[in-house]
Amino acid sequence: MRHRLLAVPLAAAVLVTSACSAQETSTTGGSTAKAGYVATVDDSLPAGGTLDVELPIDIGAATGLDPQLADVASSWQLMSLVYETLVTVGPDFAVQPALAASWENPSPTKYVFRLRDDVFFSNGRAMTADDVVGSLQRLLASQSVWRGQLGPVKSVTKVDDKTVDVELTTAYTPFLAALANVPAAVLPMKEINEKSVDVTKTMLGTGPFKVDSHRQDVSWAFGKNDKYWSDGEPRLDGVNVTIATEEAARVASLQSGKASVATLGNVDSKSMLAGASGVEVLSQATTDFYYLMLNTQVSGSKFADPRVRKAINIALDREQISSVALGGQGKPTGVTPTGLPGACDPAGLPSATAGAEEAKKLLAEAGATNLTFTLSIFSTAPAPAVAQVIQQNLEQVGITVKIEQMDEASWAGKVYGAVPATFDAALSWFAGYADAGMVTKWWNPDVAVFNKGFMKSDPALSSAIDKAVVLPAGDARTAALAEVCTKVDEDAQMLPLVTRPSTVAYRTDAASVGLYATEGYGNALRLIADFRKKSA
Amino acid sequence: MRLALWWLGRAVSAAATLLGVSILIFAAVRMMPGGFAETILGPFATADQKAELADRYGLDQSVFVQYGHWLAAVARGDFGVSMISREPVVSELWARLPVTGQLTLFSVLIATLVGVPLGVLTAVRARRAAVGRLLSGLGVSVPEFVLGSLVVFLFSRYALGLPAGGYDNVRSLVLPSLVLSFFAISITARTTRDAVMGVLVEPYVTAAVARGESPWFIIRHHVLRNAAIPVVTLLATITAYLLGGALIVEYVFNLPGIGSYVVQAVGRRDYAVVQAGVLLAATVFIVLNLLVDLVVGLIDPRLGVTSKGRRA
Amino acid sequence: MKDWLTRAGMVCLGLIVLVALASVVNLAGDPDEIVGPRLAPPGPGYWLGTDNLGRSMLPRIMEGIATTLLLSSVAVLVTAALSAVLGIVAGYRGGVVNELIMRLVEVLYSFPAIVLAILVAAVFGPGQLAALASIVLVTIPLMTRLVRAAAVGVAQRDYVTAAIISGARLPRILGRHLLPNVAGTIAVQVTYALSVGIAVEGGLSFLGFGVQPPQASLGVLIQQGTTYMTAAPWMITGPGVVFVVAVLAINVVGDGLRDRFEPRQARSLV
Repeated sequence: MRHRLLAVPLAAAVLVTSACSAQETSTTGGSTAKAGYVATVDDSLPAGGTLDVELPIDIGAATGLDPQLADVASSWQLMSLVYETLVTVGPDFAVQPALAASWENPSPTKYVFRLRDDVFFSNGRAMTADDVVGSLQRLLASQSVWRGQLGPVKSVTKVDDKTVDVELTTAYTPFLAALANVPAAVLPMKEINEKSVDVTKTMLGTGPFKVDSHRQDVSWAFGKNDKYWSDGEPRLDGVNVTIATEEAARVASLQSGKASVATLGNVDSKSMLAGASGVEVLSQATTDFYYLMLNTQVSGSKFADPRVRKAINIALDREQISSVALGGQGKPTGVTPTGLPGACDPAGLPSATAGAEEAKKLLAEAGATNLTFTLSIFSTAPAPAVAQVIQQNLEQVGITVKIEQMDEASWAGKVYGAVPATFDAALSWFAGYADAGMVTKWWNPDVAVFNKGFMKSDPALSSAIDKAVVLPAGDARTAALAEVCTKVDEDAQMLPLVTRPSTVAYRTDAASVGLYATEGYGNALRLIADFRKKSA
Repeated sequence: MRLALWWLGRAVSAAATLLGVSILIFAAVRMMPGGFAETILGPFATADQKAELADRYGLDQSVFVQYGHWLAAVARGDFGVSMISREPVVSELWARLPVTGQLTLFSVLIATLVGVPLGVLTAVRARRAAVGRLLSGLGVSVPEFVLGSLVVFLFSRYALGLPAGGYDNVRSLVLPSLVLSFFAISITARTTRDAVMGVLVEPYVTAAVARGESPWFIIRHHVLRNAAIPVVTLLATITAYLLGGALIVEYVFNLPGIGSYVVQAVGRRDYAVVQAGVLLAATVFIVLNLLVDLVVGLIDPRLGVTSKGRRA
Repeated sequence: MKDWLTRAGMVCLGLIVLVALASVVNLAGDPDEIVGPRLAPPGPGYWLGTDNLGRSMLPRIMEGIATTLLLSSVAVLVTAALSAVLGIVAGYRGGVVNELIMRLVEVLYSFPAIVLAILVAAVFGPGQLAALASIVLVTIPLMTRLVRAAAVGVAQRDYVTAAIISGARLPRILGRHLLPNVAGTIAVQVTYALSVGIAVEGGLSFLGFGVQPPQASLGVLIQQGTTYMTAAPWMITGPGVVFVVAVLAINVVGDGLRDRFEPRQARSLV
């Protein structure tokens, strides 16, 4: 059962991309990329060819290939080759049309989507409004964690063959951003209802590619969806994905030319591949961020006293975590992910302005002068590095941290498996998504559910969160989000730390790729429909 | 007749060992975190599936009965379904068998072809024993994952002409086999050396030296035949070792073999896969040892007449 | 003359043990402390360079030696104790007891070392306990077999028969007459088992089932070193050299012990 609870947090953990802030690398192969991009595709290259991509991990959930139940960023990435959503996010998180050619927002609680005309599933059947309505209704009726992000949806109705209405109970600003992620994809509802397609075992979507073959944990062969709606796309005839768990294996494939594109996990990939000719390493900022969980719910919790949590929060040196554990990539963040419009400034938070003396004083007041606790982490890099810097930080104020490292499955079992949870403290990361209000919802355990075992809801914080997601973008919302940041900083049951970098490397003689400067859903292959193959 | 009895004895004891292995694996799976039903079916099992499983394995009955049911299922080739791929574990293992099988086979061949001559050479040149000891020691002391990582790096960065990672065809297995056999070579050489040196002190060798036969004649006609038994026995052990080593080499070279599959399965709690993989490895070892014993029985008929009818 | 190698091996081992002892009192500094820039080459303040977190490699290597040595030694001592009891009892009693013990050992022997270790890690959860148990289970079969073989030989000697006739009790026979006579075999096997233990620890750490951070072990350090092979070669060099020297020295000493306790007078033919 615990796997259901892996939900978004751990989840995300599985995607092993990482890397650097966007400004540092805004050039590719000598030419400057457009604003909002780390790399742009060379349009002069001819279409055609099959691209070889290597990724660290396959879709590996016990829920199979059902996109609505996918809660792992690495799964979203692979599924996005086949599945598409009504809207999508552009560079710098502007919402853009996708399967919906346009939409209207006649009132804060109503959205009207005009569907694109010429959309076909890769089996040749045209997408209908019934597919759209059916998919969203199926999602709302499912166990998906994404229901919590989609917001207070009251009804989804078909107006005519090309129009779909969505009504919300209350205004909900992140609605479109939530609609832009893979769990909200449009599924072939006719086939699903006829039971001619089992979406847990295969993928059938409207996206640029279709699945030709799949060997679990070994490889995927994607072919072109010949009836793809976007003219000329995909440029490639196909994509071959090889799963290579070991980082060194992916690096080797890039060096030897066996792979043209690969995602990497090591924050030092750039310097390590500096000597390899023809390999370009791109660093992408993400809105994902690491956070520390302090379990207040276990009986005899060492963190029941808010002063202890506050002291820990003060003692954490987010700059050092970023510079040492993440090689200077990734940035300190509050609960609103740094990099998203409207996010708060982490430097202004109460914990950032207090010093070590204050932390020691708080610990003394709380009678916790010889505090020792165990920090449970998963072994996927760079989490162990982050944990070890945290350990060093806390040693400065006299707290002893014992690190307990385990594989992701055991970690998830320990952290999400029991109510109340049995761990002391744990480290993970959340995908940051595409709207500053989205991830804050996980700070209300009554909404998030998966963290009920170790965290208590704080009514003031919960109402601040609800207020911020309702307000339309603007100064009032920014102020409301800043309020959420401060309340989270004071509550300190889940402590936001630093954003998680992502690294994509490719061979300049074999591929031309495009990459946003900042990514919200952990999808390094977001622009793959436009990627080109070069022949050496 | 005695030989046949001896063979029969070996077969019976191999069967007993196999039974013991199955008990150990069953016990280990029961001891792993997560219940047995969750282990076999995965976390999203419906109540119906659980009821069906409880019926099939008699989960309400004693542990011994459950073991019996499990063993019967395994004997039918029913290893359960992978939680991740939702395919029967057997078909996944079958698809991956060629990679691991070839990798192990090549490595055993290399270890034999290089290790045996090396062992003979260091044995007859005993005055240079130190060199032999150092060399064989070096083989044992470099871990596969270090050697493997080094080879992968060098061959990928400097385009040295052989594929270093992934599996396309048999060529992809050249480097992994060499890395895997590195350790086995030194063990084979050491065992051969000991065996040859053991034979060299036999009276018939002294006699041959006294007769003035040439050293290489002595080796060919007296030593090798008699030193063959420990070496043949070793090969079974080596094969088992290499099956384990294959796991790490597959990991480093990203080969879709059984070893890397089992490691991944452990990380994801895909227990049905872990059980099947471990049982397979142990079975291969036991069967190989049995075969080797049969062969050794042919080479050395003395074994058939030992007091207990067979060796321990 | 021929034993200079064994002596050299012993000197190396002695040095390694000294280094391990020195690390217990943090002679070269705190192995977990961040002292300098990340991935810095050897320089003042960090004589063997720094790792990917800016920690000095020297104290980390020293801690790694201590961890690996302690873990393997404890595991091998447990193995030796268990093997001595099982092997002697099986060799002396024979019959059903022998059959049972040997079957048990055979079962363990049927698992490839690293596969057994992974299974143990899955049951215990990763960490020192899993590493310890793995090493014990991996090394026990061979040692028990060899102790038993030696015990069978000793059990048929006249002085054992004499002891039995004179009415000595079983524990006394086993302890006074058998154990001293199989001690040589055990000593030899302990050295080999030690090198197997170090290798198993390395393999487990490589796969992430071994010692937990920030504690360093040779396996952990080598595993990290291989990831940074190009950017920071000093991260693999130090631990790698120590690992090879340690295993080599242990094997050489083992060979020397074997020549002494189990002399098989070999001579040069050519």
